[in-house]
Amino acid sequence: MAAAGSGSDPTPLAVENLSIVYGERRAVEALSFVVRPGEIYGLLGSNGAGKSSTIKSVVGLVRPSAGTIRVFGLNAVTDGLRVKQRVGYVPETSLLYEALTPREFLEFVAGVRRLKRDAASARARSYATAFRLEAEFDEPIASLSNGTRQKVLLIAALLHQPPLLVLDEPLNALDPRSVRIMKELLSRYVATGGRGVLFSTHTMEVAEQLCHRVGILDRGVLRAEGTLASLRVRASTGDETLEQVFLRLTREDEGVPAAVRTLEQR
Amino acid sequence: MGWREAWRLSSVAFRELSLQAIYAIRLGNPPPSGRLDKVVRTAQRRVVQSKVIIASVLALIAAGGVDVVRLAPTIVSSPFFGVPVPVAVFQAGVLTGLLSLDVAFLWWTGLQVLPTFIASGVLPVLEPLPISDRTLRRVAGILYLRMFDLPALTVLIVTPLFVGWVLGAPSGLAIIPGVVAAVAFALALALLTGRFFVRRVQGSRGGGGRAILRWAYLVLWVLPAFAMFGFVIAAPGFLALLARTAGAGPSLTGDLLVSAFPFTFALLPSVVTQGGGVFGLDATGVGILALASAGYLLLAGWAVVWLMGTVRTVGLAPPLVPKEAPPVHGYDLVPQRPARAVLTKDLRIASRMPGYAFLVLFPILDAGAIGLFTFFTGPGSGAAFALALGAVTTAALLATFFGPAFFAIEVIAYSYGRTLPLSERSVVFGKVALIAAIYLIAGGLVAGLTVLRVFQPLVFLAFVFGELPAVLAAGFLELGILLRRARASGLPIVNLYAGAWYAILVSIPGLLVAGFPLVAFTLLRSMSTTLGISALALVALVELAVCAPFALGIGRGRTA
Repeated sequence: MAAAGSGSDPTPLAVENLSIVYGERRAVEALSFVVRPGEIYGLLGSNGAGKSSTIKSVVGLVRPSAGTIRVFGLNAVTDGLRVKQRVGYVPETSLLYEALTPREFLEFVAGVRRLKRDAASARARSYATAFRLEAEFDEPIASLSNGTRQKVLLIAALLHQPPLLVLDEPLNALDPRSVRIMKELLSRYVATGGRGVLFSTHTMEVAEQLCHRVGILDRGVLRAEGTLASLRVRASTGDETLEQVFLRLTREDEGVPAAVRTLEQR
Repeated sequence: MGWREAWRLSSVAFRELSLQAIYAIRLGNPPPSGRLDKVVRTAQRRVVQSKVIIASVLALIAAGGVDVVRLAPTIVSSPFFGVPVPVAVFQAGVLTGLLSLDVAFLWWTGLQVLPTFIASGVLPVLEPLPISDRTLRRVAGILYLRMFDLPALTVLIVTPLFVGWVLGAPSGLAIIPGVVAAVAFALALALLTGRFFVRRVQGSRGGGGRAILRWAYLVLWVLPAFAMFGFVIAAPGFLALLARTAGAGPSLTGDLLVSAFPFTFALLPSVVTQGGGVFGLDATGVGILALASAGYLLLAGWAVVWLMGTVRTVGLAPPLVPKEAPPVHGYDLVPQRPARAVLTKDLRIASRMPGYAFLVLFPILDAGAIGLFTFFTGPGSGAAFALALGAVTTAALLATFFGPAFFAIEVIAYSYGRTLPLSERSVVFGKVALIAAIYLIAGGLVAGLTVLRVFQPLVFLAFVFGELPAVLAAGFLELGILLRRARASGLPIVNLYAGAWYAILVSIPGLLVAGFPLVAFTLLRSMSTTLGISALALVALVELAVCAPFALGIGRGRTA
């Protein structure tokens, strides 16, 4: 199992007491969770719950104010370069090198990741074919739709077969066919080699179908964590959907009827 | 909603444009910390600083041109032109050059800022709001004009003031139509050519053949910047032509000349104060002059109207999506080592972003233009050799001067780039390799152009390669400074429009490092050329030994 990350610790991701502060605003507070080998861990939360801040701190975009982040035992802050070699990341917004084509962009990423030509080409071919990128592979990224950009980012994240995938709302702009492919791909991806996936979303249906465990973030604090079954027990519900469990645990269901009534009166 | 509402909306949009131009948040740069109003004020102040720099250059061009006009009686008495040149004709010729330079410089500035305007995304934010088409067009037009306000006002006000001061108030008033037309044509040309390049260059597919075509287009893009060279090369012949035409009395050539922009407006001050006789014009010639002036002013007015209506479509436009893209041939990727991957990525981005392409092409084309001057000297003369060395020197200094701007390419997709395992060393090596490649290509071009004119090829090559370590050292120093700054307070954005001031500050130590060996060469050359080149190489090597560790030492194991 340790082979996945080539580190001494087989745990893909261990976040401990993570706090992130922007100026006077505390985005994340004392957050701890673990992504285990072979696991897809879903980070759920409303807008502004702290999901993206957490993910950005894992990939080195935001410096934690306190706490530690370890990727296969490597400290994400002090050993950033080695951590980035083990992580594939898809950002929430498709910010790319707009002046490059997907081929040129993937060549750059493959070069920085020191991939061999044959391996990089074979993976690019299989993913691009699966996502039907034939017509856009040599077009400037600036001219591509959001969904196509998202596909390019997914391919870039998978190109080096990283032992840890960090995906920030990765399915948002994808068409149904690509969403289906992604779900299948992720399920199979983590099944071998001790890999892990950290996955953020506010789409409960996706999390319900895909994630082995979920953590529910609310205003920067982890309210609950576990499998869907264990969360149902904790929320004292029967066979409710994850959305109902989520609303109950974050107490956001209390205001929903009133908000709907207010909207109806206007 | 009228003009007042359009102005109000454009003020809000311009704040956003300034913010994006300086901090590039839409490109993934993290938002700066601190209170938003303070951040916005800082962004606005820095945009104004950049405009002041551009306006100062334009004011200097005006002052220089008008100073030559002032010295006209002394200059025309020299035998340089071969034919006697009347003072008024000489003055009209110089004013023609001045107006041409104004057009070229504003046009070139427009080409540089247009990508910033598009990337800022301010117009797409306004589009879905319930604002009429007319108001949106006006907002877009006003925004575009506000990007040029200080430079354009400098041309419109300073040039007539200087001309009036030297030639008298009537002449100052008479040049006003000329500067109005120059500004209008320049801004319209920038938009027209900018739109073309957005479609043909930024929207171009990948592939080797298309890359060559893009670079060919980009050479055309850079050409307005060479107006000064064109003016210097063409000036003696042009003035001689004017003098002969003026001396021959009324003629078809004279009529054609007075109807050609910008000579039409450059001649107006002399004709207004001294009559058509100064250029040998009869009543018909004066009539043609008046008609041409009115025609160009009408055309300028139409250009402004066209511009105001067209900016919106450009501001909304990312490159056009091709209607039917042909299927891709294979998915072969050719990964390169990280530093080379950075270099290739930068060149590919530059090939679709004219602002960056300019930085690559200008030092090379500039060296080539100076190299061409050797053909105006005697074969094997000392002057030809000095010019060749001057061309290489200029290339070294320009490549160094633009070094900080190459770093700014990292601003593009900044947040994504930071998640890749790309070390600071790879970034430094990639950028310094680009600076060195530009210098060496420029040196090679000069060598190719002057191989038959300069009979000291070995000395010339020793000079080129002797200076190379200094160019590398300057690049290392600049990149070292910028990386330290990036680590402390985010990536500095140092493009022409957004951060010219910061780029210049970082360029100064780089220029000094690139310049010291050249000074040593100049001082010792009179004793012996070999001694001069030895000193050049020695100083350059010492600088490289000091500057490279400064940049590379800080980058060990860190990601960019």
